[in-house]
Amino acid sequence: MTSEKLKGLLDLNELALTDDEQTVMQNIFKAMEQNEKVLEKVDTTDTKVMVHVMPMTNVLREDVRNQPFTRDELLKGAPECSDDSWQVPRLVK
Amino acid sequence: MSYYVTKINENGNIAVDDTLLVKGAPAAAGSKILKGFEPLFSAEAVVRLENAGYTVLGKTKVGEFGLDLVGEFGVDANDTLKGAAAEAVANDEVAGALCVDLNGAPRRAAAISGVNFIKPTYGTVSRYGVIAAACSGEQVGVCAKTVKSTAALLSVIAGHDAKDGTSLENESYDYDTDLDVKGSKVLVIKELFDAADDTAKAKVDAFAEALKANGVVVETASFETVFEAQAAWQILMSAETCNNLSRYDGVKFGYRTPNYNNIDELYVNTRTEGMNLLTKATVLYGSDVLSKGRYTDCYDKSLKVRRVVYDKVKELFGSFDAILTPALSSTGYNAYSINDAFLKVYGESLFTAIPNLIGIPALVSGGVQLMGNHFDEGMLFSLALTAERSGK
Repeated sequence: MTSEKLKGLLDLNELALTDDEQTVMQNIFKAMEQNEKVLEKVDTTDTKVMVHVMPMTNVLREDVRNQPFTRDELLKGAPECSDDSWQVPRLVK
Repeated sequence: MSYYVTKINENGNIAVDDTLLVKGAPAAAGSKILKGFEPLFSAEAVVRLENAGYTVLGKTKVGEFGLDLVGEFGVDANDTLKGAAAEAVANDEVAGALCVDLNGAPRRAAAISGVNFIKPTYGTVSRYGVIAAACSGEQVGVCAKTVKSTAALLSVIAGHDAKDGTSLENESYDYDTDLDVKGSKVLVIKELFDAADDTAKAKVDAFAEALKANGVVVETASFETVFEAQAAWQILMSAETCNNLSRYDGVKFGYRTPNYNNIDELYVNTRTEGMNLLTKATVLYGSDVLSKGRYTDCYDKSLKVRRVVYDKVKELFGSFDAILTPALSSTGYNAYSINDAFLKVYGESLFTAIPNLIGIPALVSGGVQLMGNHFDEGMLFSLALTAERSGK
């Protein structure tokens, strides 16, 4: 794991690490590269991926307009809101 | 030290861990990033318990998103980490607790506190209302003091829920705790036994002796697939956690940093201040295994290895009724640095990864772990009850 690639992952995930934390992360990646080697030994040539072990169903609802929660209820958890909307920093300068 | 992040009803008899939603009560999954979040509905498992007459006493503390060893609830006088829900049950604060098992934390906690915890077959308990991290392997389980009470609580919450796409269509499940175990066969996995210290080995030996005394055949054999399962589940769990936690950005709910001048700083500072280093490491590793150049050899490979492990374990259950292993490498953990958390948890997941990876049930009882075939919780309960009656 190069410093450049780690920076790319941090950017992609909207995260920042201190220099010490980046060293910890480098050590984790190094150790996991070794741990992953066990997978190389498994022959999966003709094996299909198994995303889910059990069958899944698509959860649908009736195509009927409804309002399970009020605007006030939904905004109750907002970190910042003004009037009847979520408030975020200006996106367009 | 309190077991709870929130007390809901002083007369309650059930605890619910903080990764499950209870309407009107704060839910943070142990993370600063969900600070202030109050759900508008309760998890289906909680609703089912309430409909059956149980009352939620409080939300128990968990490690951030359930990713750590046992919930890191605190250090007792002997410098040992405990899980809050397991301790609440062990000390008779509640009749039982619901906990989400995504990487074995509630199982390890139950083993340390000397109580029972069942992670049921994937799909038998609704995940509706769970703060998701690793969707394909996490399940709501039950912690309780006796085998029978664990089975009774599980039977209340198990059953089809149309709101959850991962819920299986069986309407209900009847968990028998009194199956005749005489003549049944249990496998001790050599690799897991050897990876434990003498105290954990002694618990497995004692449990095995109790089973043998009741006519159960206990054999030890090698099953190297445990190492493949450990690596594959870490990759899949991290990738899914990375995706699920991308929604926490400080905009609609939860924590928002006070330190920002624009939207980019809001995102980065909120997530950086809101997540601990273990969560960040899981997200970054998950992002890496999903990236171009790593996807095929890591993520895709792990999905294929999951099928290989599934087939090998199913073959094994053709010859054995259950698997007996240590639940963790020792009988307790000392406090450790967050810098060491990722690899420490990875090491311990050797004992717990298979049930999360392929959805089989796992029961911790008497400080050891029993794994069973899909939907074979009854056999696990019956074996554990046999040992429990023998005082093990």
